[in-house]
Amino acid sequence: MTSGNSSGEAAAAASAKIVLSGVSKAFERRNSGTPTMALQHLDMSVPEGHFVSILGPSGCGKTTVLRLVDGLVPPDSGSVVVAGQAPRPGPEMGFVFQAFRLIPWATVQANVEFALTATGLNKHERAERAARYIALVGLQRFAQSYPGELSGGMKQRVALARAFASEPSILLMDEPFASIDAQTRELMQVELMKLWAQHRATVLFVTHSVDEAIMLADRVVLMSPRPGRVIEEIEVDLPHPRWQYDIRATPRFVELRSYLWAAIKDLVLNDPSSDFYAPTSGNAGTPAD
Amino acid sequence: MIALYRFLFLIFLIVLWWVISLNVRANFIPSPWATLLAAQKLLADGKLIVALGDSLITFAGGYALGILVAIPVGLVMGVFLPVGKTLEIYVYALAAMPRVAFIPLIIVFLGLGFPAKIFIVFLGAVMPVLINTYAGVLAVDQELIEMARSVRAGRMQIFARIVLPSAVPFIIVGLRLGATIALINTVVAELYTAVRGLGGLLAIYGNTFRMAEYFVIVIVLAIIGVIVSEGLRHLEKRLVRWKTSD
Ligand SMILES: Nc1ncnc2c1ncn2[C@@H]1O[C@H](COP(=O)(O)OP(=O)(O)O)[C@@H](O)[C@H]1O
Ligand SMILES: [Mg+2]
Repeated sequence: MTSGNSSGEAAAAASAKIVLSGVSKAFERRNSGTPTMALQHLDMSVPEGHFVSILGPSGCGKTTVLRLVDGLVPPDSGSVVVAGQAPRPGPEMGFVFQAFRLIPWATVQANVEFALTATGLNKHERAERAARYIALVGLQRFAQSYPGELSGGMKQRVALARAFASEPSILLMDEPFASIDAQTRELMQVELMKLWAQHRATVLFVTHSVDEAIMLADRVVLMSPRPGRVIEEIEVDLPHPRWQYDIRATPRFVELRSYLWAAIKDLVLNDPSSDFYAPTSGNAGTPAD
Repeated sequence: MIALYRFLFLIFLIVLWWVISLNVRANFIPSPWATLLAAQKLLADGKLIVALGDSLITFAGGYALGILVAIPVGLVMGVFLPVGKTLEIYVYALAAMPRVAFIPLIIVFLGLGFPAKIFIVFLGAVMPVLINTYAGVLAVDQELIEMARSVRAGRMQIFARIVLPSAVPFIIVGLRLGATIALINTVVAELYTAVRGLGGLLAIYGNTFRMAEYFVIVIVLAIIGVIVSEGLRHLEKRLVRWKTSD
Protein backbone atom coordinates (compact mmCIF):
# COMPACT_ATOMS: atom_id res chain seq x y z
CA MET A 1 0.00 0.00 0.00
CA THR A 2 2.48 2.67 1.10
CA SER A 3 5.31 3.04 -1.34
CA GLY A 4 7.96 3.84 1.24
CA ASN A 5 9.18 7.41 1.46
CA SER A 6 7.66 9.44 -1.30
CA SER A 7 9.75 12.53 -1.75
CA GLY A 8 8.66 15.41 -3.92
CA GLU A 9 5.31 16.94 -4.72
CA ALA A 10 4.72 14.96 -7.89
CA ALA A 11 5.18 11.61 -6.20
CA ALA A 12 2.85 12.70 -3.39
CA ALA A 13 0.19 13.72 -5.89
CA ALA A 14 0.56 10.47 -7.80
CA SER A 15 -0.04 8.35 -4.71
CA ALA A 16 -2.88 10.58 -3.48
CA LYS A 17 -6.36 9.13 -3.22
CA ILE A 18 -8.07 12.33 -4.35
CA VAL A 19 -6.52 14.75 -6.82
CA LEU A 20 -8.14 17.89 -8.18
CA SER A 21 -6.02 19.79 -10.66
CA GLY A 22 -6.88 23.07 -12.30
CA VAL A 23 -10.56 22.57 -11.57
CA SER A 24 -13.02 25.29 -12.54
CA LYS A 25 -16.75 25.14 -12.06
CA ALA A 26 -19.43 27.74 -12.80
CA PHE A 27 -23.16 27.62 -12.13
CA GLU A 28 -25.88 29.27 -14.18
CA ARG A 29 -27.78 31.86 -12.25
CA ARG A 30 -31.52 31.86 -12.71
CA ASN A 31 -32.13 35.58 -13.03
CA SER A 32 -28.94 36.86 -14.55
CA GLY A 33 -26.88 36.13 -17.62
CA THR A 34 -23.48 35.86 -16.00
CA PRO A 35 -22.77 32.52 -14.30
CA THR A 36 -21.33 32.30 -10.79
CA MET A 37 -17.74 31.14 -10.73
CA ALA A 38 -17.92 28.66 -7.87
CA LEU A 39 -14.34 27.43 -8.30
CA GLN A 40 -11.42 28.65 -10.38
CA HIS A 41 -8.18 26.79 -11.02
CA LEU A 42 -8.40 24.80 -7.86
CA ASP A 43 -5.65 22.33 -6.99
CA MET A 44 -5.99 19.97 -4.07
CA SER A 45 -4.74 16.52 -3.26
CA VAL A 46 -5.50 14.20 -0.40
CA PRO A 47 -3.21 11.25 0.35
CA GLU A 48 -4.84 7.94 1.14
CA GLY A 49 -5.92 7.64 4.75
CA HIS A 50 -5.51 11.34 5.47
CA PHE A 51 -8.01 13.60 7.14
CA VAL A 52 -8.24 16.98 5.45
CA SER A 53 -10.38 19.85 6.71
CA ILE A 54 -11.63 22.49 4.29
CA LEU A 55 -12.15 25.82 5.98
CA GLY A 56 -13.60 28.95 4.47
CA PRO A 57 -16.45 31.44 4.53
CA SER A 58 -19.85 30.63 3.00
CA GLY A 59 -20.00 30.62 -0.76
CA CYS A 60 -16.34 29.82 -1.36
CA GLY A 61 -17.18 26.53 -3.06
CA LYS A 62 -16.61 23.99 -0.28
CA THR A 63 -19.78 22.04 -1.03
CA THR A 64 -18.97 22.17 -4.73
CA VAL A 65 -15.58 20.56 -4.07
CA LEU A 66 -17.27 17.64 -2.31
CA ARG A 67 -19.86 17.21 -5.08
CA LEU A 68 -17.09 17.17 -7.67
CA VAL A 69 -15.11 14.58 -5.73
CA ASP A 70 -18.21 12.39 -5.36
CA GLY A 71 -18.81 12.63 -9.11
CA LEU A 72 -22.24 14.22 -8.67
CA VAL A 73 -21.28 17.10 -10.95
CA PRO A 74 -18.55 17.26 -13.58
CA PRO A 75 -15.93 20.03 -13.63
CA ASP A 76 -16.10 22.60 -16.43
CA SER A 77 -12.36 22.30 -16.88
CA GLY A 78 -9.47 20.63 -15.11
CA SER A 79 -9.60 17.11 -13.78
CA VAL A 80 -10.88 15.25 -10.77
CA VAL A 81 -9.27 11.89 -10.10
CA VAL A 82 -10.35 9.61 -7.28
CA ALA A 83 -8.48 6.36 -6.65
CA GLY A 84 -6.89 6.70 -10.08
CA GLN A 85 -10.18 7.13 -11.95
CA ALA A 86 -12.86 9.64 -12.79
CA PRO A 87 -15.15 9.66 -9.76
CA ARG A 88 -18.42 7.76 -9.83
CA PRO A 89 -20.98 8.19 -7.05
CA GLY A 90 -21.62 5.09 -4.98
CA PRO A 91 -21.23 3.30 -1.68
CA GLU A 92 -17.41 3.40 -1.92
CA MET A 93 -17.76 7.06 -0.93
CA GLY A 94 -19.88 8.17 2.01
CA PHE A 95 -21.41 11.64 1.81
CA VAL A 96 -22.70 13.49 4.87
CA PHE A 97 -24.75 16.34 3.44
CA GLN A 98 -25.03 19.79 4.92
CA ALA A 99 -28.76 19.58 5.65
CA PHE A 100 -29.04 15.86 6.49
CA ARG A 101 -31.10 14.90 3.41
CA LEU A 102 -32.93 12.12 5.20
CA ILE A 103 -35.92 10.56 3.45
CA PRO A 104 -38.90 11.87 5.46
CA TRP A 105 -41.19 8.91 4.66
CA ALA A 106 -38.61 6.26 5.52
CA THR A 107 -37.78 5.11 9.04
CA VAL A 108 -34.28 5.58 10.44
CA GLN A 109 -33.59 1.92 9.65
CA ALA A 110 -34.85 2.30 6.06
CA ASN A 111 -32.87 5.51 5.59
CA VAL A 112 -29.62 3.79 6.50
CA GLU A 113 -30.47 0.68 4.48
CA PHE A 114 -31.13 2.88 1.46
CA ALA A 115 -27.43 3.82 1.41
CA LEU A 116 -26.58 0.13 1.04
CA THR A 117 -28.67 -0.28 -2.12
CA ALA A 118 -25.70 -0.70 -4.43
CA THR A 119 -23.35 -2.56 -2.09
CA GLY A 120 -24.17 -6.07 -3.25
CA LEU A 121 -25.26 -7.05 0.27
CA ASN A 122 -28.47 -9.06 0.42
CA LYS A 123 -31.60 -7.86 2.19
CA HIS A 124 -30.77 -9.57 5.45
CA GLU A 125 -27.19 -8.31 5.48
CA ARG A 126 -28.33 -4.78 4.71
CA ALA A 127 -30.75 -4.82 7.64
CA GLU A 128 -28.07 -6.15 9.95
CA ARG A 129 -25.44 -3.67 8.81
CA ALA A 130 -27.84 -0.72 9.13
CA ALA A 131 -28.85 -1.81 12.63
CA ARG A 132 -25.20 -2.04 13.65
CA TYR A 133 -24.39 1.50 12.54
CA ILE A 134 -27.59 2.89 14.03
CA ALA A 135 -26.53 1.35 17.34
CA LEU A 136 -23.06 2.81 16.89
CA VAL A 137 -24.49 6.33 16.87
CA GLY A 138 -26.70 5.45 19.83
CA LEU A 139 -30.06 5.46 18.09
CA GLN A 140 -31.11 1.82 18.35
CA ARG A 141 -34.26 2.83 20.23
CA PHE A 142 -35.26 5.08 17.34
CA ALA A 143 -34.65 2.67 14.47
CA GLN A 144 -38.36 2.59 13.64
CA SER A 145 -38.91 6.35 14.05
CA TYR A 146 -39.36 8.76 11.18
CA PRO A 147 -36.92 11.66 10.77
CA GLY A 148 -39.68 14.13 11.61
CA GLU A 149 -39.81 12.67 15.10
CA LEU A 150 -36.11 13.25 15.82
CA SER A 151 -34.17 16.25 17.12
CA GLY A 152 -31.58 17.97 14.95
CA GLY A 153 -28.71 16.20 16.67
CA MET A 154 -30.37 12.83 16.22
CA LYS A 155 -30.99 13.48 12.52
CA GLN A 156 -27.34 14.34 12.21
CA ARG A 157 -26.38 11.03 13.77
CA VAL A 158 -28.64 9.19 11.32
CA ALA A 159 -26.86 10.98 8.49
CA LEU A 160 -23.51 9.87 9.93
CA ALA A 161 -24.69 6.29 10.34
CA ARG A 162 -25.89 6.31 6.74
CA ALA A 163 -22.55 7.57 5.45
CA PHE A 164 -20.54 5.10 7.54
CA ALA A 165 -22.77 2.08 6.94
CA SER A 166 -21.38 1.21 3.53
CA GLU A 167 -17.91 1.28 5.12
CA PRO A 168 -16.58 3.60 2.44
CA SER A 169 -12.90 4.19 1.83
CA ILE A 170 -13.64 7.88 1.31
CA LEU A 171 -15.78 10.09 3.52
CA LEU A 172 -17.05 13.46 2.32
CA MET A 173 -18.50 15.46 5.18
CA ASP A 174 -20.18 18.82 4.63
CA GLU A 175 -20.39 20.81 7.88
CA PRO A 176 -21.74 17.76 9.65
CA PHE A 177 -21.72 19.26 13.12
CA ALA A 178 -22.79 22.79 12.25
CA SER A 179 -26.37 22.46 13.40
CA ILE A 180 -26.01 20.53 16.64
CA ASP A 181 -25.50 21.84 20.14
CA ALA A 182 -22.02 22.30 21.57
CA GLN A 183 -22.03 19.33 23.96
CA THR A 184 -23.30 16.88 21.35
CA ARG A 185 -20.79 18.28 18.91
CA GLU A 186 -17.84 17.58 21.25
CA LEU A 187 -19.02 14.00 21.73
CA MET A 188 -19.59 13.49 18.01
CA GLN A 189 -16.14 14.84 17.22
CA VAL A 190 -14.57 12.30 19.55
CA GLU A 191 -16.75 9.55 18.04
CA LEU A 192 -15.62 10.56 14.58
CA MET A 193 -11.94 10.50 15.63
CA LYS A 194 -12.37 7.02 17.07
CA LEU A 195 -14.18 5.72 13.99
CA TRP A 196 -11.53 7.20 11.79
CA ALA A 197 -8.74 5.65 13.90
CA GLN A 198 -10.33 2.24 13.28
CA HIS A 199 -11.17 2.50 9.59
CA ARG A 200 -8.67 5.04 8.36
CA ALA A 201 -10.84 6.28 5.55
CA THR A 202 -9.66 9.20 3.46
CA VAL A 203 -11.69 12.15 4.73
CA LEU A 204 -12.60 15.52 3.28
CA PHE A 205 -14.25 17.45 6.08
CA VAL A 206 -15.86 20.84 5.44
CA THR A 207 -16.31 23.13 8.40
CA HIS A 208 -16.80 26.73 9.47
CA SER A 209 -15.09 26.16 12.77
CA VAL A 210 -11.37 26.82 13.04
CA ASP A 211 -11.10 24.74 16.22
CA GLU A 212 -12.86 21.79 14.66
CA ALA A 213 -10.75 22.00 11.52
CA ILE A 214 -7.50 21.81 13.48
CA MET A 215 -8.66 19.29 16.03
CA LEU A 216 -9.70 16.63 13.53
CA ALA A 217 -7.38 17.04 10.59
CA ASP A 218 -3.91 16.17 9.39
CA ARG A 219 -4.11 19.17 7.13
CA VAL A 220 -6.27 22.28 6.92
CA VAL A 221 -7.05 23.74 3.52
CA LEU A 222 -8.14 27.37 3.62
CA MET A 223 -10.38 28.51 0.78
CA SER A 224 -11.34 31.98 -0.35
CA PRO A 225 -14.52 33.04 -2.16
CA ARG A 226 -15.36 34.73 -5.49
CA PRO A 227 -13.97 32.81 -7.19
CA GLY A 228 -13.41 29.84 -4.94
CA ARG A 229 -9.78 28.80 -4.66
CA VAL A 230 -7.26 27.40 -2.20
CA ILE A 231 -5.19 30.12 -0.59
CA GLU A 232 -3.35 28.22 2.10
CA GLU A 233 -2.62 24.67 3.27
CA ILE A 234 -1.39 23.98 6.77
CA GLU A 235 -0.14 20.67 8.14
CA VAL A 236 -1.43 19.92 11.62
CA ASP A 237 1.49 18.15 13.25
CA LEU A 238 -0.22 17.18 16.47
CA PRO A 239 -0.02 13.55 17.55
CA HIS A 240 -2.94 11.10 17.25
CA PRO A 241 -5.05 9.89 18.99
CA ARG A 242 -6.15 13.33 19.93
CA TRP A 243 -9.10 12.47 22.15
CA GLN A 244 -6.63 11.24 24.75
CA TYR A 245 -5.33 14.66 25.64
CA ASP A 246 -6.63 18.20 25.80
CA ILE A 247 -5.52 19.30 22.37
CA ARG A 248 -6.76 22.85 22.82
CA ALA A 249 -4.27 23.34 25.64
CA THR A 250 -1.21 22.55 23.52
CA PRO A 251 0.91 25.54 22.42
CA ARG A 252 0.92 24.28 18.83
CA PHE A 253 -2.90 24.29 18.70
CA VAL A 254 -3.03 27.83 20.04
CA GLU A 255 -0.48 28.90 17.48
CA LEU A 256 -2.31 27.30 14.53
CA ARG A 257 -5.60 28.65 15.72
CA SER A 258 -4.50 32.28 15.92
CA TYR A 259 -2.75 31.99 12.58
CA LEU A 260 -5.87 30.63 10.84
CA TRP A 261 -8.12 33.17 12.54
CA ALA A 262 -5.97 36.01 11.31
CA ALA A 263 -6.02 34.60 7.79
CA ILE A 264 -9.82 34.23 7.78
CA LYS A 265 -10.36 37.68 9.21
CA ASP A 266 -8.25 39.13 6.41
CA LEU A 267 -10.26 37.17 3.89
CA VAL A 268 -13.61 38.36 5.14
CA LEU A 269 -12.61 41.98 5.65
CA ASN A 270 -11.16 42.18 2.15
CA ASP A 271 -14.11 40.52 0.40
CA PRO A 272 -16.24 43.28 -1.14
CA SER A 273 -19.35 41.13 -1.03
CA SER A 274 -19.10 40.18 2.62
CA ASP A 275 -21.15 41.92 5.29
CA PHE A 276 -17.99 42.88 7.12
CA TYR A 277 -16.17 44.42 4.16
CA ALA A 278 -13.77 47.05 5.49
CA PRO A 279 -10.83 47.87 3.24
CA THR A 280 -7.80 48.29 5.46
CA SER A 281 -6.88 51.62 3.83
CA GLY A 282 -9.85 53.49 5.26
CA ASN A 283 -12.70 52.03 7.24
CA ALA A 284 -14.81 55.15 7.65
CA GLY A 285 -18.50 54.52 7.98
CA THR A 286 -18.36 50.76 8.34
CA PRO A 287 -19.64 49.49 11.64
CA ALA A 288 -17.02 46.76 11.87
CA ASP A 289 -17.01 44.61 15.05
CA MET B 1 -65.35 15.71 22.14
CA ILE B 2 -65.30 16.99 18.54
CA ALA B 3 -67.67 14.17 17.63
CA LEU B 4 -70.10 15.40 20.27
CA TYR B 5 -69.89 18.98 19.01
CA ARG B 6 -70.46 17.77 15.47
CA PHE B 7 -73.50 15.86 16.59
CA LEU B 8 -74.86 18.89 18.46
CA PHE B 9 -74.32 21.02 15.37
CA LEU B 10 -76.25 18.48 13.31
CA ILE B 11 -79.15 18.74 15.78
CA PHE B 12 -78.91 22.52 15.49
CA LEU B 13 -79.08 22.29 11.68
CA ILE B 14 -82.12 20.05 11.82
CA VAL B 15 -83.86 22.39 14.24
CA LEU B 16 -82.98 25.32 12.02
CA TRP B 17 -84.34 23.45 9.02
CA TRP B 18 -87.52 22.69 10.96
CA VAL B 19 -87.99 26.34 12.00
CA ILE B 20 -87.48 27.49 8.43
CA SER B 21 -89.90 24.91 7.11
CA LEU B 22 -92.55 26.25 9.48
CA ASN B 23 -92.07 29.79 8.29
CA VAL B 24 -91.79 29.29 4.55
CA ARG B 25 -94.81 28.27 2.52
CA ALA B 26 -95.11 24.60 3.28
CA ASN B 27 -94.73 23.37 -0.32
CA PHE B 28 -91.24 24.76 -0.82
CA ILE B 29 -89.38 23.54 2.26
CA PRO B 30 -90.60 20.24 3.66
CA SER B 31 -90.25 19.66 7.39
CA PRO B 32 -87.62 17.17 8.58
CA TRP B 33 -90.43 14.85 9.57
CA ALA B 34 -92.07 14.95 6.11
CA THR B 35 -88.68 14.31 4.56
CA LEU B 36 -88.14 11.30 6.78
CA LEU B 37 -91.52 9.88 5.75
CA ALA B 38 -90.69 10.46 2.09
CA ALA B 39 -87.35 8.67 2.58
CA GLN B 40 -89.14 5.68 4.08
CA LYS B 41 -91.50 5.53 1.15
CA LEU B 42 -88.71 5.85 -1.42
CA LEU B 43 -86.79 3.11 0.32
CA ALA B 44 -89.80 0.85 0.57
CA ASP B 45 -90.74 0.99 -3.12
CA GLY B 46 -87.10 0.45 -4.15
CA LYS B 47 -86.86 3.64 -6.23
CA LEU B 48 -84.10 5.11 -4.11
CA ILE B 49 -81.97 1.97 -4.17
CA VAL B 50 -82.21 1.60 -7.93
CA ALA B 51 -81.35 5.26 -8.49
CA LEU B 52 -78.51 5.10 -5.99
CA GLY B 53 -77.10 2.04 -7.75
CA ASP B 54 -77.26 3.78 -11.13
CA SER B 55 -75.56 6.88 -9.81
CA LEU B 56 -72.86 4.96 -7.98
CA ILE B 57 -72.00 3.01 -11.13
CA THR B 58 -71.71 6.24 -13.10
CA PHE B 59 -69.72 7.97 -10.37
CA ALA B 60 -67.38 5.08 -9.57
CA GLY B 61 -66.88 4.16 -13.23
CA GLY B 62 -66.00 7.69 -14.33
CA TYR B 63 -63.91 8.46 -11.26
CA ALA B 64 -61.93 5.21 -11.45
CA LEU B 65 -61.32 5.68 -15.16
CA GLY B 66 -60.17 9.24 -14.47
CA ILE B 67 -57.71 8.08 -11.81
CA LEU B 68 -56.42 5.27 -14.01
CA VAL B 69 -55.60 7.73 -16.77
CA ALA B 70 -54.60 10.76 -14.71
CA ILE B 71 -52.01 9.26 -12.35
CA PRO B 72 -49.88 7.51 -15.01
CA VAL B 73 -50.09 10.49 -17.39
CA GLY B 74 -49.23 12.93 -14.58
CA LEU B 75 -46.27 10.78 -13.53
CA VAL B 76 -44.96 10.48 -17.08
CA MET B 77 -45.29 14.24 -17.58
CA GLY B 78 -43.38 14.92 -14.37
CA VAL B 79 -40.65 12.34 -14.86
CA PHE B 80 -40.01 13.08 -18.54
CA LEU B 81 -39.96 16.83 -18.38
CA PRO B 82 -39.99 17.53 -22.13
CA VAL B 83 -43.27 15.58 -22.31
CA GLY B 84 -44.62 17.55 -19.36
CA LYS B 85 -43.61 20.93 -20.72
CA THR B 86 -45.12 20.07 -24.10
CA LEU B 87 -48.45 18.89 -22.74
CA GLU B 88 -48.99 21.11 -19.72
CA ILE B 89 -50.37 24.09 -21.65
CA TYR B 90 -53.05 21.87 -23.23
CA VAL B 91 -53.84 20.26 -19.90
CA TYR B 92 -54.29 23.64 -18.21
CA ALA B 93 -56.42 24.90 -21.10
CA LEU B 94 -58.67 21.87 -20.93
CA ALA B 95 -58.91 22.11 -17.14
CA ALA B 96 -59.93 25.77 -17.30
CA MET B 97 -62.66 25.08 -19.84
CA PRO B 98 -66.22 24.40 -18.69
CA ARG B 99 -66.51 20.80 -19.73
CA VAL B 100 -70.32 20.78 -19.84
CA ALA B 101 -69.70 22.34 -23.24
CA PHE B 102 -68.69 18.88 -24.47
CA ILE B 103 -71.95 17.23 -23.49
CA PRO B 104 -73.74 17.59 -26.86
CA LEU B 105 -70.67 16.20 -28.60
CA ILE B 106 -70.47 13.32 -26.15
CA ILE B 107 -74.13 12.50 -26.76
CA VAL B 108 -73.51 12.45 -30.50
CA PHE B 109 -70.72 9.91 -30.10
CA LEU B 110 -71.73 7.88 -27.07
CA GLY B 111 -75.49 8.22 -26.94
CA LEU B 112 -77.49 8.76 -23.78
CA GLY B 113 -76.62 5.65 -21.75
CA PHE B 114 -73.94 4.72 -19.26
CA PRO B 115 -70.96 5.18 -21.60
CA ALA B 116 -71.83 8.84 -22.10
CA LYS B 117 -72.50 9.37 -18.38
CA ILE B 118 -69.28 7.69 -17.35
CA PHE B 119 -67.34 9.74 -19.87
CA ILE B 120 -68.79 12.99 -18.53
CA VAL B 121 -67.73 12.03 -15.00
CA PHE B 122 -64.34 10.94 -16.30
CA LEU B 123 -63.80 14.33 -17.95
CA GLY B 124 -64.47 16.08 -14.67
CA ALA B 125 -62.33 13.84 -12.48
CA VAL B 126 -59.29 13.41 -14.70
CA MET B 127 -57.95 16.98 -14.74
CA PRO B 128 -57.51 17.75 -11.04
CA VAL B 129 -55.89 14.38 -10.43
CA LEU B 130 -53.58 14.77 -13.41
CA ILE B 131 -52.54 18.33 -12.59
CA ASN B 132 -51.84 17.53 -8.95
CA THR B 133 -49.89 14.38 -9.78
CA TYR B 134 -47.76 16.37 -12.20
CA ALA B 135 -47.23 19.15 -9.64
CA GLY B 136 -46.31 16.55 -7.03
CA VAL B 137 -43.57 15.06 -9.18
CA LEU B 138 -42.21 18.51 -10.03
CA ALA B 139 -42.11 19.43 -6.33
CA VAL B 140 -39.76 16.56 -5.44
CA ASP B 141 -36.75 17.67 -3.41
CA GLN B 142 -33.80 17.71 -5.82
CA GLU B 143 -31.40 17.39 -2.90
CA LEU B 144 -32.95 14.04 -1.98
CA ILE B 145 -32.50 12.87 -5.55
CA GLU B 146 -28.86 13.89 -5.41
CA MET B 147 -28.51 11.97 -2.14
CA ALA B 148 -29.96 8.91 -3.86
CA ARG B 149 -27.55 9.35 -6.75
CA SER B 150 -24.66 9.55 -4.29
CA VAL B 151 -25.42 6.02 -3.09
CA ARG B 152 -25.84 4.88 -6.71
CA ALA B 153 -29.55 4.12 -6.48
CA GLY B 154 -30.99 3.22 -9.89
CA ARG B 155 -33.58 5.23 -11.79
CA MET B 156 -36.40 2.88 -10.84
CA GLN B 157 -35.36 3.01 -7.21
CA ILE B 158 -35.20 6.79 -7.22
CA PHE B 159 -38.67 6.83 -8.72
CA ALA B 160 -40.15 4.31 -6.29
CA ARG B 161 -38.44 5.46 -3.10
CA ILE B 162 -38.14 9.22 -3.60
CA VAL B 163 -40.28 10.64 -6.41
CA LEU B 164 -43.51 8.67 -5.96
CA PRO B 165 -43.79 8.98 -2.15
CA SER B 166 -43.08 12.67 -2.35
CA ALA B 167 -45.91 13.08 -4.88
CA VAL B 168 -48.43 11.12 -2.79
CA PRO B 169 -49.76 14.04 -0.70
CA PHE B 170 -50.32 16.02 -3.90
CA ILE B 171 -52.04 13.08 -5.58
CA ILE B 172 -54.41 12.79 -2.64
CA VAL B 173 -55.34 16.45 -2.91
CA GLY B 174 -56.08 15.75 -6.57
CA LEU B 175 -58.18 12.72 -5.68
CA ARG B 176 -60.24 14.85 -3.30
CA LEU B 177 -60.90 17.56 -5.85
CA GLY B 178 -61.54 14.91 -8.48
CA ALA B 179 -64.11 13.15 -6.29
CA THR B 180 -66.02 16.38 -5.73
CA ILE B 181 -66.16 17.20 -9.42
CA ALA B 182 -66.98 13.59 -10.29
CA LEU B 183 -70.00 13.73 -8.00
CA ILE B 184 -71.17 17.01 -9.48
CA ASN B 185 -70.71 15.65 -12.97
CA THR B 186 -72.63 12.49 -12.07
CA VAL B 187 -75.70 14.63 -11.39
CA VAL B 188 -75.03 16.80 -14.43
CA ALA B 189 -74.73 13.73 -16.64
CA GLU B 190 -77.98 12.30 -15.30
CA LEU B 191 -79.76 15.57 -15.96
CA TYR B 192 -78.44 16.09 -19.50
CA THR B 193 -78.41 12.55 -20.89
CA ALA B 194 -81.01 9.83 -20.29
CA VAL B 195 -82.70 10.92 -17.07
CA ARG B 196 -81.77 8.27 -14.52
CA GLY B 197 -80.22 7.81 -11.12
CA LEU B 198 -80.25 10.34 -8.31
CA GLY B 199 -79.89 13.20 -10.77
CA GLY B 200 -82.90 11.89 -12.64
CA LEU B 201 -85.01 11.73 -9.48
CA LEU B 202 -83.83 15.23 -8.62
CA ALA B 203 -85.17 16.45 -11.96
CA ILE B 204 -88.47 14.62 -11.63
CA TYR B 205 -89.22 15.72 -8.08
CA GLY B 206 -87.92 19.22 -8.67
CA ASN B 207 -90.10 19.75 -11.71
CA THR B 208 -93.21 18.43 -9.97
CA PHE B 209 -92.60 20.29 -6.70
CA ARG B 210 -92.45 17.11 -4.62
CA MET B 211 -90.14 18.82 -2.21
CA ALA B 212 -89.99 16.14 0.50
CA GLU B 213 -88.72 13.55 -2.00
CA TYR B 214 -86.46 16.14 -3.56
CA PHE B 215 -84.84 16.80 -0.18
CA VAL B 216 -84.26 13.09 0.36
CA ILE B 217 -82.18 12.96 -2.83
CA VAL B 218 -80.22 16.08 -1.89
CA ILE B 219 -79.39 14.56 1.48
CA VAL B 220 -78.35 11.24 -0.08
CA LEU B 221 -75.97 13.12 -2.41
CA ALA B 222 -74.52 14.99 0.54
CA ILE B 223 -73.98 11.71 2.39
CA ILE B 224 -72.17 10.20 -0.61
CA GLY B 225 -69.91 13.26 -0.68
CA VAL B 226 -69.11 12.93 3.01
CA ILE B 227 -68.40 9.19 2.75
CA VAL B 228 -66.06 9.61 -0.21
CA SER B 229 -64.10 12.48 1.30
CA GLU B 230 -63.81 10.75 4.69
CA GLY B 231 -62.56 7.62 2.92
CA LEU B 232 -59.89 9.68 1.18
CA ARG B 233 -58.93 11.29 4.46
CA HIS B 234 -58.33 7.87 5.96
CA LEU B 235 -56.30 6.82 2.94
CA GLU B 236 -54.20 9.95 3.37
CA LYS B 237 -53.64 9.20 7.06
CA ARG B 238 -52.41 5.73 6.19
CA LEU B 239 -50.17 6.82 3.34
CA VAL B 240 -48.57 9.86 4.91
CA ARG B 241 -48.35 8.75 8.51
CA TRP B 242 -44.69 9.87 8.54
CA LYS B 243 -45.94 13.45 8.75
CA THR B 244 -45.86 14.43 12.39
CA SER B 245 -48.10 17.47 12.07
CA ASP B 246 -51.08 15.76 13.75
N1 LIG C 1 -26.55 24.23 -7.90
C1 LIG C 1 -26.13 25.51 -7.92
N2 LIG C 1 -26.74 26.40 -8.73
C2 LIG C 1 -26.34 27.68 -8.77
N3 LIG C 1 -25.35 28.19 -8.03
C3 LIG C 1 -24.69 27.36 -7.20
C4 LIG C 1 -25.06 25.98 -7.10
N4 LIG C 1 -24.25 25.40 -6.18
C5 LIG C 1 -23.42 26.38 -5.76
N5 LIG C 1 -23.68 27.55 -6.36
C6 LIG C 1 -22.95 28.81 -6.14
O1 LIG C 1 -21.58 28.52 -6.14
C7 LIG C 1 -20.92 29.18 -5.07
C8 LIG C 1 -20.25 28.17 -4.16
O2 LIG C 1 -21.26 27.41 -3.53
P1 LIG C 1 -20.96 26.27 -2.46
O3 LIG C 1 -20.03 25.27 -3.06
O4 LIG C 1 -22.26 25.77 -1.97
O5 LIG C 1 -20.22 27.08 -1.31
P2 LIG C 1 -20.01 26.73 0.23
O6 LIG C 1 -20.37 25.30 0.45
O7 LIG C 1 -18.57 27.05 0.51
O8 LIG C 1 -20.91 27.67 1.01
C9 LIG C 1 -21.96 30.03 -4.37
O9 LIG C 1 -21.87 31.34 -4.87
C10 LIG C 1 -23.26 29.40 -4.78
O10 LIG C 1 -24.27 30.37 -4.85
MG1 LIG D 1 -21.83 24.49 1.67
